[in-house]
Amino acid sequence: MSIMEYNGGSVVAMVGKDCVAIASDLRLGNQALGISSNFQKIFPVTDRIFLGLPGLATDVTTLRETFRFRVNMYTIKEEREIEPETFAHLVSSTLYEPTGGFRPFIAATDLIGCLNFAKDFVVAGTASTKLYGTAEGLWEPDLDPEQLFETISQTMLNAVDRDAYSGWGVVVHVIEKDKVTTRTLKGRMD
Amino acid sequence: METSFAITGKGYVLVASDTTAARSIVKMKTDEDKIKVISPHLLMAYSGEPGDTIQFAEYVERNLRLFHIRNNYALRPSAAASWIRRSLAQSLRSRKPYSVNLMLGGFDVTTDTPHLYWVDYLGTMTEVPFGAHGYGAYFGLSLLDRYHNPEATLEEGIETLKRCINEVSKRLVVSPEKYKVKVVDKDGTREIEL
Amino acid sequence: MPDMVALSRQQPQERQFNPYSENGGTILAISGADFSVIAGDTRQSEGYSIQTRYAPKVFRLTDKAVLAVNGFAADGNMFVKQVRQRLEWYRHAHAKDMPLRAIARLIQTMLYARRFFPYYVYNILGGIEDDGSGAVYSFDPVGSYERESCRAAGAAQSLVQPFLDNQIYFKNQVPQPGMTHPKHLPLGTVGDGLEMFVVLAKGSPLYGLENFDGVQEMTSTHEGERIFVVRRNLKRD
Repeated sequence: MSIMEYNGGSVVAMVGKDCVAIASDLRLGNQALGISSNFQKIFPVTDRIFLGLPGLATDVTTLRETFRFRVNMYTIKEEREIEPETFAHLVSSTLYEPTGGFRPFIAATDLIGCLNFAKDFVVAGTASTKLYGTAEGLWEPDLDPEQLFETISQTMLNAVDRDAYSGWGVVVHVIEKDKVTTRTLKGRMD
Repeated sequence: METSFAITGKGYVLVASDTTAARSIVKMKTDEDKIKVISPHLLMAYSGEPGDTIQFAEYVERNLRLFHIRNNYALRPSAAASWIRRSLAQSLRSRKPYSVNLMLGGFDVTTDTPHLYWVDYLGTMTEVPFGAHGYGAYFGLSLLDRYHNPEATLEEGIETLKRCINEVSKRLVVSPEKYKVKVVDKDGTREIEL
Repeated sequence: MPDMVALSRQQPQERQFNPYSENGGTILAISGADFSVIAGDTRQSEGYSIQTRYAPKVFRLTDKAVLAVNGFAADGNMFVKQVRQRLEWYRHAHAKDMPLRAIARLIQTMLYARRFFPYYVYNILGGIEDDGSGAVYSFDPVGSYERESCRAAGAAQSLVQPFLDNQIYFKNQVPQPGMTHPKHLPLGTVGDGLEMFVVLAKGSPLYGLENFDGVQEMTSTHEGERIFVVRRNLKRD
């Protein structure tokens, strides 16, 4: 059993026309035993940066706290909000850090919040192969926010329904230039 | 085997833990209290490696007490839970990690809401409406999926808790014989006889 | 040095012959009201090496049955050969082709006969039933089987199957108020593959199949069921 599969969980993010969306499931488990159906894996970093962290749940929480601390320190020192590109480098260097931060079994999704980073979509977590299949089939370029929401929702729901370690509800964030829409979706509970 | 349950209800959290202290196949003690009152409105049920459990519980208890003395107020349940989780997460990557699983039940007097946190030895934490540790989880969680009601009165909550305990006694081969039950609500913490 | 010799004499060394290999690839079948589409890629690989880019794993069995075989290619080829032989014996004994549901049961018994040294293959059988309906049967390596509307197997099963759940079974989709999901999809919406067999029931229309790129009819008469094969080149990487 890989440590990535101990708690389960998946994240997907997609690019649309002047918008991006990021979605995750809500399950927290101990292998096959479900513990919680409200475990968030996506965290707001700034108004327009969201970070998805599937993986070992203890490190999900620790990293989220680490990033919150480092971003707060950056904001205070620089007296401005961190840029998505800068934050991407912060994620990269934090995960690579050999002392204290060395967690080889943590994968952060690619950073979303900047339209130039991925031209289509990124996936991570226990349902990643299923997410690749559904996303590859459903995604197309230049979707508007509502279409992107439908696409990412269908991608996520159908992928996690074929994954025993993901599911138990889905949360979707659609990020536009000056607006974030968050919706929680009902999913199969089996 | 060690088992603990906790459920939230209308304005309270019920925390139950078995009272056996076992070494290998021998029961050494059947009246061990494994639920600590760690601040006026916070209960912590602990289980895991004997020795680690008490050591860690007392470490938590004393640090939260120190905070209370220094600042003249107790940490709210969410803050206390975060601190405890972080202690376990840091311990996990030390030379000798604590093997302790926790259920934290608290009552937030600033918002008048009950809170329950499920924490394992890895430092995994999640807020839950009900939770369980040990083999009892495999029996109790399915019952709680069916019978738990966040609006239940204390009496109804106790009935639901009894269902779980009875099911474990009936179906688990190595079931504990006795449980200690404590409740936390707006008036603080107290023990309950089932 | 003498010590080392003595030591190596003491240690028992285990050697084992592994009779199986995994040759990659993916197969897929979808059935509609009066047709069935069975597709498979034609690459055969072992690890990171490509052995050939053209080794078909979809085989025509009768005028209305097509079998796709994925997994260990040697077992797959041998299995198809044996199924075909059994179908030929049936034809000699009964002067007709074996019905699809009977082929499915035959495959089960043939697979289960090898329960303790199985053919390392996943089978998907597609075709037309005696009542004229399109059908897909999927099997595990030891013969458990089920009739379904669609199934993917092989390397990309985990990518394709959830997509099929969504697009063929309409999972997680809610129809407009007062509407229902179509019971069967039209042939035109059922996509393309590297090598794809289309089996049409007797008297069924062509659904525009004649205009497909690189389509070739395998049946010589238009009287009974008609089988078409579509070959496509995908990326050569």
